[in-house]
Order: sequence, then structure tokens, then C-alpha cells
Amino acid sequence: MAQTRFDRNAQLNGWAFIMPAMMLIGIFMVYPILWSLWMSFQVGRGTNFKFGGLANVERLLNDPVFLRALTNTCIFFIVQVPIMIILALLFAVALNDSTLRFRGLFRTAIFLPCVTSLVAYSVLFKSMFSGDGVVNNVLLATHLVNDPIPWLTDPFWAKIVIILAITWRWTGYNMIFYLAALQNVDKSIYEAARIDGVPAWARFTQITIPMLKPVILFTTIISTIGTLQLFDEVNNITQGGPGDATLTLSLYIYNLTFRFMPSFGYSATVSYVIVIMVAILSIAQFMIARDRRRTA
Amino acid sequence: MNFMIVRRAAVYLSLSIATFISIFPFYWMVVGATNESRDIVTGKSTIGTNLVANFQNLLAQVDLAQVFWNSAVVAIAATVLTLAVSSLAGYGFEIFRSRVRERIFQILLLLLSIPFAALMVPLFVMISRAHLSNTFTAVILPTVASIFIIFYFRQATKAFPGELRDAARVDGLKEWQIFLYVYLPSMRSTYAAATIIVFMTSWNNYLWPLIVLQTEDKKTITLVISSLTSAYTPDFGVILLSTVLATLPTLIIFFVLQRQFVQGMLGSVK
Amino acid sequence: MNWEEFMNLFASRWSRLLGTTMAGVGMLTATAVSASELTVWCWDPNFNIPAMTDAGARYTKDHPDTTFNVNNISQDDINQKLQTQLLAGVTDGLPDMVLIQDDNAQRFLQSFPGAFVPLSDSIDMTKFASYKVAAATYEGKSYSLPFDSGVGGLFYRSDYLEQAGYGADDLNDITWDQLIKIGTDVKEKTGHQLLSMDYNDDGMIIMMMQSTGQWYLKDGSEPNIVDNAALKASLEAFQKMAQAGLVKSITGWTDYTGSFTSGEVAAVPQGVWITGTIKSQPDQSGDWRVAPLPKLDGVDGATHYSNNGGSSWYVLASSEHTDEAVDFLKTVWAGDVDFYQGILVNQGAVGSLLAARDGDAYKASDDFFGGEPVWQNFSDWLSKVPSVNYGTFTPEARAAVQAQLPTIANGGNIDEALQAIDGQLRQQIQ
Repeated sequence: MAQTRFDRNAQLNGWAFIMPAMMLIGIFMVYPILWSLWMSFQVGRGTNFKFGGLANVERLLNDPVFLRALTNTCIFFIVQVPIMIILALLFAVALNDSTLRFRGLFRTAIFLPCVTSLVAYSVLFKSMFSGDGVVNNVLLATHLVNDPIPWLTDPFWAKIVIILAITWRWTGYNMIFYLAALQNVDKSIYEAARIDGVPAWARFTQITIPMLKPVILFTTIISTIGTLQLFDEVNNITQGGPGDATLTLSLYIYNLTFRFMPSFGYSATVSYVIVIMVAILSIAQFMIARDRRRTA
Repeated sequence: MNFMIVRRAAVYLSLSIATFISIFPFYWMVVGATNESRDIVTGKSTIGTNLVANFQNLLAQVDLAQVFWNSAVVAIAATVLTLAVSSLAGYGFEIFRSRVRERIFQILLLLLSIPFAALMVPLFVMISRAHLSNTFTAVILPTVASIFIIFYFRQATKAFPGELRDAARVDGLKEWQIFLYVYLPSMRSTYAAATIIVFMTSWNNYLWPLIVLQTEDKKTITLVISSLTSAYTPDFGVILLSTVLATLPTLIIFFVLQRQFVQGMLGSVK
Repeated sequence: MNWEEFMNLFASRWSRLLGTTMAGVGMLTATAVSASELTVWCWDPNFNIPAMTDAGARYTKDHPDTTFNVNNISQDDINQKLQTQLLAGVTDGLPDMVLIQDDNAQRFLQSFPGAFVPLSDSIDMTKFASYKVAAATYEGKSYSLPFDSGVGGLFYRSDYLEQAGYGADDLNDITWDQLIKIGTDVKEKTGHQLLSMDYNDDGMIIMMMQSTGQWYLKDGSEPNIVDNAALKASLEAFQKMAQAGLVKSITGWTDYTGSFTSGEVAAVPQGVWITGTIKSQPDQSGDWRVAPLPKLDGVDGATHYSNNGGSSWYVLASSEHTDEAVDFLKTVWAGDVDFYQGILVNQGAVGSLLAARDGDAYKASDDFFGGEPVWQNFSDWLSKVPSVNYGTFTPEARAAVQAQLPTIANGGNIDEALQAIDGQLRQQIQ
């Protein structure tokens, strides 16, 4: 009897706590999403639409630009997300060490890139990585390379610049989440481990990583979504070039929506490709997390 | 012991390199604000003498006080509302589990991945039919229930000790009291991180305010910077000065709140 | 059910709900615009904004009831705001007049029929350079008041060319092949590359091609790529230059302007609107000259006259003051020759009103360019630019060409590149 009343209370509270958010999401997302879903079945341009069934999906599969954008996006995601997550984690753990000096300085410095304005840093990145920019000058002076690297004008190196740029901008951002989460880890566990002679690396893998797992999962999913929606850097630093080498799905959606003859149905269809990719990846990431929990 | 020293040195070295790489563009931006446009373009990276002139040029083009006021109203209101609404929801999803709500949560994650460009037109139609076009309400409200922040609070709540809740319930606290008096104070670092993130996102928000805000007196700093870059021969001195000014509020908030990340300061929950 | 009905069905319900919810929150409604204030969107605070402000002031002097509110909004931002609101069918946030770049105009005109006021109904369009009028003509009516011209010229450093033994006469009435020869000599003697180019921008290709009266599209919508001799010749000339090491490859606008303001490259083939940027370096005064663009070799109809960029004013049909706006454009922009002298002197804006070139300012010579009457030259060339139909899919075509430029620069096969451009363009416009 007492048990059921408790359950019912929990149910009621469960709904009460999420209700304000759900109402707002219901108002501001449900209708736009229905609209864009419905639009993805429409063909036509401007304000003249007609039902096209799966015509947009068919167009997608035959679209060389879409395939280029999809490939680039996947490359960015596969290469960049792991690098950034690991870097952010290492920085967070290093900066959480209370015996470290200048912690505040380091912490602020590493966070700085994500507040530095996009305009400023894209202008700077372009000039630093230009053919006779400072990066090439340093590399030439130290004889690391014999010829200047065509950073922004070669398809391969342009991708590298974009990966460097996103990593630069977002590592400190991810670090914030880890730093906050580390405050919730009980310090006495570390002390006990240290007294037991557990080495630092083992403390990191055996204690820190498992304790931070929820937040690591969170940042991985958020970074995945962020990279799949990558737009700012490619639009501002490389404009998707050279020769579409850094064109991403989001930049392509933007072009279809604002730069080309408006084709909303088709750009909505491309948008849902990102949703499907996120769905698959999130399921995979959740499964991996769950499997680890079971075997642990 | 030698090994310890080497490791320490390695930590300091890598942090110093990271610090240099992180600070350099920021330094360049600040220095640029003191230089003339053509010096900036040719790569000058030492402090110049043009700061006052750049400031006067900026003031001649932009009603700076109004613009900052607009950005501040939007960002502060959005931060307070988002933290309230989204932390409640994140807590609710994690503490009171049910199959239906789990499904809802999974759907939310998918909604998060829809590019905003796909939703903008219908959202704009709704806003203007509700006669909210060109209002701050229209800029703020659609961002308040942030799936991202809900998700973040849910993940952070996983570290919230169940014993604390049990103890509070034994003491006869109602659920909302537990949230307010037990959960909220013990999650200060989580709230601090979320404040930084939400404030920054809202302060830098560009596409939606661009579409919704129509008149000059409503423009936020991000929109103003965008219009400053529009010239065929952009004045980078003025642009960089405005980006430095636009960065300051987020930096100040970070400086103030980063104390919450210092271990031990708020005292362990236990 | 069409999309609008669908949208109404949902939007009205949701919005009513939203509206009632908001009523309690205390909503801030849009400020009402005073009865005779004309709002204009345009983007350059050194160029079209002061030009429009000046035009407005002239009109207000004789029509005190009409005032102007000129907003600085970047070109990308204008495209986004315009497109979202026209697509949403919501017009209360739109201005009375807006500036649109010429090669971008047709997609607005064709995507949103009825959104703009046909100006040729009330303004005599023969007063303007014909290619500018053609750019905004749709179904027999012209919708724009032509503003600045992008008429092209070859800006070059006479001091560099002199060191290689070339004078002004050597650049008159030449072909691109001859220019490549000159460029090679200049590079050998002075070490300066001929010109700079961003491979994300096909502006130079466009100028070469339009000088023959050809465009990426035929009849506005049919791809004109594979059998386009002018395009092929343009890409070949570009490839020759790149292979000869005459092209400094840069990225972005800042780098581009930096490459010639710093004195690095010897020449800038560009629209007349670049003049202000070139003149931004007073210490280079006297070093620069302007020659007509080189001609394409072996292409029918090749001329020295072409265009890149340039924009025009449009009146939104949703405006409550369309009559005033049209009368304003007619009075000042289509009638006031004196006004055009002012914006030429103050902003370096070469307008498209043909009568303007008879004014004094146009006849003046410019010491920066060694005393050449550059404005007179540009306005002569302006009247000879071949008209082309930019059509609806120019942005798509440009993107397809840009995708191939790095390959072509590296010596790739041009016929294959044309096939790839054609394939991508056809796919994009279906």
C-alpha cells in the first residue's frame, strides 16, 4: 500500500519536474519539426511546392556534392572528436591537481579560445596558415619542411587546418564539463588508492574515467552532434573549399537554403541525414557504455 | 622521485604550450584593437596607437550602450530561465525514471541533432503570427528549454548521491524542497559550468536573432559585428575592438565562476 | 493541400496558444514605423550606405515628409533575412527597399513572384547601362534601379611593368595570352607574380567569360558548360597562368586585398568597385594604372569589356510606401546627374546612369593613376559590356565551377572538368 503511493508520487513528481521544459519544447519544436519533416517530401522551389514522395531521397543518392559533404563530415568527426575528448580530459585532470601552480591561469587560458570571437580567429587562422604565413615561416626556419605547406589551398591540408581549428576552439569548452564533474568525485577514494600504491596512470583509468563516464558520454554525444553540424569554421576559414574539400553537411544545407535557389524540401532532407547519423551513433555509444557497465 | 619531477615538468611544459597556443589569437585580437586596419592586414602584432581612433570610429557607427544593453537583457534572461527550466527537467529525468520518460528523453536527443536551419522558417512563421516578431521574448523563449542543458544536468545528476535524497526524505522534505535545498547547493560546480555555457551560447547567438530582430534599436552585439564586417574594405581595427568588447562579459563570468571548479572549496557533499 | 494551407492549419493554432501564453508574460510588440519613413537595407558603410543616405537627404530636402532609415546589414545577412521572411510569407519585418547583388537577383525574382515592384512600369530603363537592366528583367519587366557597376578593368603596377620593359601601350588591346607573356617577364625581372586569386571565387573566370556575351547558363536555366567555348578558353587561360606560376593562390577577402595593397602582385583584373581598396594605400599613388581587360584568344565575340559584381536597388511590394519609394528612385537615382558626381567623388561609386558620365567628376583625371581619366574610361567601357542573362542558378553554377578550380590550376584536364561541372550543375538544378 505504502509502496504504491510512493510510486504514484514518484510518477507525479517525475512529470512535474519535466513539465515546464516539455511544454516549451512542445510549442517551439514540435510544429517546426512536423513542418520540416513534411517539407522533406516536397519538391519545388521558392514557394511553389508539390508532393514528391521520396524524390528528395533519390536526389540525395545521386548528388555528388552531398556525397562529398557527407564524406568530409565523417572524416572530421572520426578524426577530430576522439582527439579533442582525450585532450580535454587530460587537461581537466592535470588542472584538477590542487598542488599544481598557476592553475587559474592555465584554466582560463585553455578556456579562452571558445570565447575568442569567430570573426577574429578566422581572420587570424587564415593569415597564420596562408602560404607565406607565420606557420610556414616557422616550419621552414626550423627545417621541418623544405617547401611551404599549401595549408588552405590544398584539399588535404585544408582539412587539417579545420581539424586544428575546431580542436583549438572547443577543447577548453569540453574541459569545463570535466572540471565540474571532477568536483563531484570523492577525494578520499584517490587518497586511499594513493596510500595503496596505485600508480597515477592506473588511478586515471581505474577511478577517474569510470567516475566521469556519464559526463564523457555526454560530451562525446554533444561533440558528435557539434561536428556533424560543423558550420562556423568551414564557412569562415575555408568557405568549404578548396574545391569542396571542406564542404560539410551543414554548410551544404546552408547553401541550399540561403545561397542557392531556395529548395527547402531538399535541404530539409539533407538535415534529416544528420539526424539519422546521430541516431545511429548515439545508439552505438549508449550500447558501448551499457556493455562496459555489464562486464564491469 | 626523479620520475615524479620529470612528470611534473612534462605537465607544466604541455600546459604552457597549450596556454601559448590558446592565448595567441586572443592576444592578437586585443593588439589588433589598438592598430590601424592596414597594419593588421600586413600582420603587425605589437601594440599600436590607434585604440582611441578605433573606439571613436566604432562609436560613430554603433550605439554601443544600447547594443550591450540588448545583448545583456537577452543573455541574462535566457541564462536564468534556461538554468531553471532545464535543470529541473534534467533532475526529473534522472531521479524519477519511467519507461515513458526514458523514451521521451531518447527522442529529445534526436531533436537536438536537427540543424536549426531546417526549423527556422516554421518557427519564424509561428513567432510572427503570435505578434512576437522583433521582441526579445521571441529571441529568448525558443532557447529556454535547452535539450543540451537538460541532457547535461541529467548526466551530472548521476553523481548526486542517493543517500542524500533518502536522508532528506526521512527528514520529511517534499520533492521540490529536496531539489531546492539539497540538490541545488551541492551541484554548484554543475550550475557554474552550465551558467558559463548558456550565457556564452546566448550572448553569441547569431542566426535566430538575425531573423527575428528587425530594427536597429533591438540589435545585439553579434549582429552588429556581423554588419561591421560587411564592407568591401573592412576596418579590422574597429572590428577587432568590437570583438574584444563582445568577449569581455563572457570572460568576466568565467573568471567569477571558475572558483567553483577549485577542488575542496565548496566542501565535499559528504 | 499546398504548403501554405498546411502551414496555416498548424501555425494558427500553435500561434494562438503561444499568443495567449505570451499575453501574460508581457510582450513587447514591434515598434510602429512612422508613416513616411523609408527603411533601406544595404551593406557597406564606406560605399552604398553613404550613397543611399546622400540620395535620401536630397529627396527629403524637397519632400520633408519622407525620411530615410538606412540600415547596415551584411550581404549574407540580407539574403538570410529576405529569404526566410519571403518563404514564411511574413512581410512585417521587411524593409521598403533593399540592395541585391545582380547575379543573385533572378532567384529572388523567380522564387517569390510578386514580392518586388516592377520598376520598369514607371521608370525609363533605357537611361541605364543595358546589361544592368537585363540582370533584373524577368518576364518582360525590370525590377531594379541599377546602382553600382562592376565594369571590369585591369589595374596594374606601372613601376613593376616598367622594370620589365613594358609601358602603357603594351597593355592596350591585348589578349590574355599576351598578358601571360608580360606576366612571365615581370616575374622574371621583379619576382612579383602577376595576380592573386582565391580558388573559392570564380570572379576572374566570370569576367573573362562575360566579355564574350556568354554565361554559365543559357536562357536563364539551361546549363551552358560543355559547349561553351568562352568558358573553356577562360579556364585554359587561367590554367596557363597558374601553371606558369603567375597566380598567387590566397584564401579569403583579407588575403586577397592584402596581396595587392602590400605591393605583392603586379596586377588586379577586377570590377571598378575595387578602386577604393587600391587607393587605400596613398604611398602607392602614381604607381597604378588601369588598362582595359585583355581579350580571350580565339573566341567569337570576344571584347575588352566585362563585369564582376555590382548591385541594384529593389522595392518590396509589401512596403506601405511603394509609391514614395518608386518616386524617390525615379527622382534621385534615375534623374539627378549631380548626385552621381557626388557619390563618385566621395565613395568612388560608378553608377549605371549613362547620363552621369557627362558630369564634371567623371571627366576629372586621377593622380593616383598617373593622371589618367579613369572614371571616363570606366564609364565608356560600361556602356559596351555585353548583356547576359544571369538566370536563376548562377550560385549553383559558380559553386560547381569553384569545385573544379584547384584541379584545373594543378594542370587537370579541362574537358573532364567541364563534364564534372555540367554533371554537378544539372544535378543541382533538377
